[in-house]
Amino acid sequence: MSNEVVIEVRNVVKNFGPTRALRGVDMKFYAGQIRGLVGENGSGKSTITSIISGMQKATSGEMFYHGQPWNPSTMVEAQEKGISMVLQEANTIPDCTVAENIFAGQFDEFSKFRIVNMKKVTEAAQKMLDDFGISHIKAADSINKYGFEDRKLIEIVRCVSDDTQVFVVDETTTALSLEGRNILYKLIHKMKDEGKSVIFISHDMDEILEQCTDLTVLRDGEIIGHLDRAEMDAPDAVQRIRYMMVGREIGEAYYREDYDTSHLPEVALELQDITFGPIEHFSLKLHKGEIIGFGGLSGCGMHEIGRAAFGLEKLAGGKVLRNGKEITNCYQAIKEGIGYISKNRDKEALILEAAIGENIVLPSLPALSHATFISPAAEKKMAKKEIDSFRIKCNNGKQWVNTLSGGNKQKVSFGKWTAKGSDVLIMDCPTRGVDIGVKQAMYALIGEMKKQGKAILLISEEMAELIGMADRIIVMKDFKVSGELERSPELSETDMIEYVI
Amino acid sequence: MSTKTNPAEKQNSFLAFLGKHVYDIAAYAGLAVTLILFLIFGGKRLSYNAQTVLQTSAPTIIIALGAVFVYSMGYMDVSVGQQVGVYAILMIMIINAVGGVLGVILGFLAVLALALLCGAFNGAVAVWLKLPSIVTSLFLMFFFTGAQLLLMESTGTNSISVPTSLLRPANRSAYNLVLVLIIVAVTLAVTYFSRFTKLGKYTRGIGANETATAQSGVNTTKWKVIAYMAFGVCVAIGSYVMLMRTGSAGKGTGTGYAMDIMICLILGGMPLSGGMKSKVSSALVGTLTYVLLTNDLTTMGVDLNMINFVKAAIFIVIILITCRKHGGVLPR
Repeated sequence: MSNEVVIEVRNVVKNFGPTRALRGVDMKFYAGQIRGLVGENGSGKSTITSIISGMQKATSGEMFYHGQPWNPSTMVEAQEKGISMVLQEANTIPDCTVAENIFAGQFDEFSKFRIVNMKKVTEAAQKMLDDFGISHIKAADSINKYGFEDRKLIEIVRCVSDDTQVFVVDETTTALSLEGRNILYKLIHKMKDEGKSVIFISHDMDEILEQCTDLTVLRDGEIIGHLDRAEMDAPDAVQRIRYMMVGREIGEAYYREDYDTSHLPEVALELQDITFGPIEHFSLKLHKGEIIGFGGLSGCGMHEIGRAAFGLEKLAGGKVLRNGKEITNCYQAIKEGIGYISKNRDKEALILEAAIGENIVLPSLPALSHATFISPAAEKKMAKKEIDSFRIKCNNGKQWVNTLSGGNKQKVSFGKWTAKGSDVLIMDCPTRGVDIGVKQAMYALIGEMKKQGKAILLISEEMAELIGMADRIIVMKDFKVSGELERSPELSETDMIEYVI
Repeated sequence: MSTKTNPAEKQNSFLAFLGKHVYDIAAYAGLAVTLILFLIFGGKRLSYNAQTVLQTSAPTIIIALGAVFVYSMGYMDVSVGQQVGVYAILMIMIINAVGGVLGVILGFLAVLALALLCGAFNGAVAVWLKLPSIVTSLFLMFFFTGAQLLLMESTGTNSISVPTSLLRPANRSAYNLVLVLIIVAVTLAVTYFSRFTKLGKYTRGIGANETATAQSGVNTTKWKVIAYMAFGVCVAIGSYVMLMRTGSAGKGTGTGYAMDIMICLILGGMPLSGGMKSKVSSALVGTLTYVLLTNDLTTMGVDLNMINFVKAAIFIVIILITCRKHGGVLPR
């Protein structure tokens, strides 16, 4: 292996407000290397690569690219200089052709007298697709014709060229089919052989162990350790890596302390053999006074189950039942006492350009309305109660939600349903970005809700939260249930991660 | 927090206040300027001018008030003008056929029913077909243009009329009083529904974030239809008020109302994208500004042919002030 350092980061720190995403990371990426980055959600994997590839700037620290100081201001600049990144989320331009997507921003090469020769663009794009081994995608087609997986491949074609020196793959493989993955693996190994540097982020341990030449484990914004190929081949490698990832002791105090998994006999919400999208024949009975946790990776299907339970998904088969009534849309769901905290907070859970109070009372307006009249005093009182009990940091209820920090926004989203007094709560990542103190309060509230006989579906990407709160944890992987765990003091993240990855 | 504020903080909070209320300030400043000009140039004919302003602006104010619900959602309607035309013609035909006060009542009720139907159509079809509501209102605009022409062809004349004595008090000041009362009543009703009921809160919610509003249990389809129907009620009342003044209708009656209403609401500070900043006062402030402006320009002796250019210039300035904000998108 060559010892040429392609990218070096020195003491890089990244803060998001009070959150410290990276706490002084030092790292070297060598030529001819596929370096895997692993760690829990929020450990800083994506933060470090997004700083290298110009998506965001570090708070402090230095970077060197081929020995020269490296401070890319945009992803475009980084890509021009040979550092490309593909992300987990879709990043293609809709309503354009595949060719236009591939050459977006590079039309000058195909222009004469400022008129773009689209035929040439399409031909060049098709050649790139063919070279890449995905001839089934036609450059002249609209990108809308292709699904998420194909779009991901198109993105890869777009960002990798002969000049690419550093290629960052950020959890892209979860979006790809097996075939797509193989194409990607072939590409990164070819790049490695050409003496380029690949940084590979994935939650899939098998994939990491198979494809990477080196591995770095991150936790809480710090590097925990590096493993070379020999260490990765050691028989206890998987256990060792997992321990490095989750080894942290969790302050137990703020989760539920009881291990009473009993619940009332009545079923509060039932998913009866539901089938939609990639999810097939899923059934679940949620009882009064029960907390069922859903865990897994982000793309495992657990978020979709939550949406379906709230009537947001069109079912191809099966039923969602509450009080003997079938729930087919979210209006019915709310009427029957179901509340839903969406993971997509800014787009679905909150009206950003509205006051905190307006957001909190929105689901409760039918209850506040007497002969069409809604008393502003009653609205204010309801909003104030939630603002106080969640300690939402604001001047008053009239302040707009878009002025709040992420954690405080999340509190508003939670407050909407506590104000409404819903009997069934579907919480999709309810404590995302919330600081420890309020998290504790939310957990206490969830525990209190259980005692009151409310039924809770807790969907979370944080294993500790599920282990700490749920009576029963359903782990999903690839849209199927991969395991079920009962609440117990012995249950650990290591037990759970078996089913997750 | 300390109660003392240093000058810099004071200035900051003043700037913050300006930034937050830029719509309102621009709108009220516009009204103040046109009002001052009106008082200066009105001169001896001030009282007569004021009455003219009241009579010409009354239908626009009423329809614009109703349109607040539609614009709150970030939607718009371009069929209003042709609707007003057809409703006026229909009322005249019914009054002439039935005769007397009964004719007036029947005529109005028929038009009200039709306006509600059109509102429901505008709202529902746009949702069901997933079309931008401007498309369905364009359809209605063409439909009503055709209906207007057809109705007028059937009469064989260019214009039909009823004696205005049937529609309004003969006494000039009594007529003005009735107009003021109708405007006040509609304003109060619209303000009530907009501020203190689900209708206003939901329509603004739909404008600000339709998905989040729906996921809070608001059946957006239903409330869109209700909003358009509320608008329909105001269109019917506005058509009657217009007929009160003219007593006649023809092929061109109502033309331009849709655009006038849009301009008035924008002048009054209504954000084109709807949402929480939508206010009922935009309809009043905007319409008065617009009508006063036209009046001012005339009394100031601006060439009639130039008036539209001046209006265009003022309009673009207001738009630049109010819409240069993030997310200030055109209505759908």
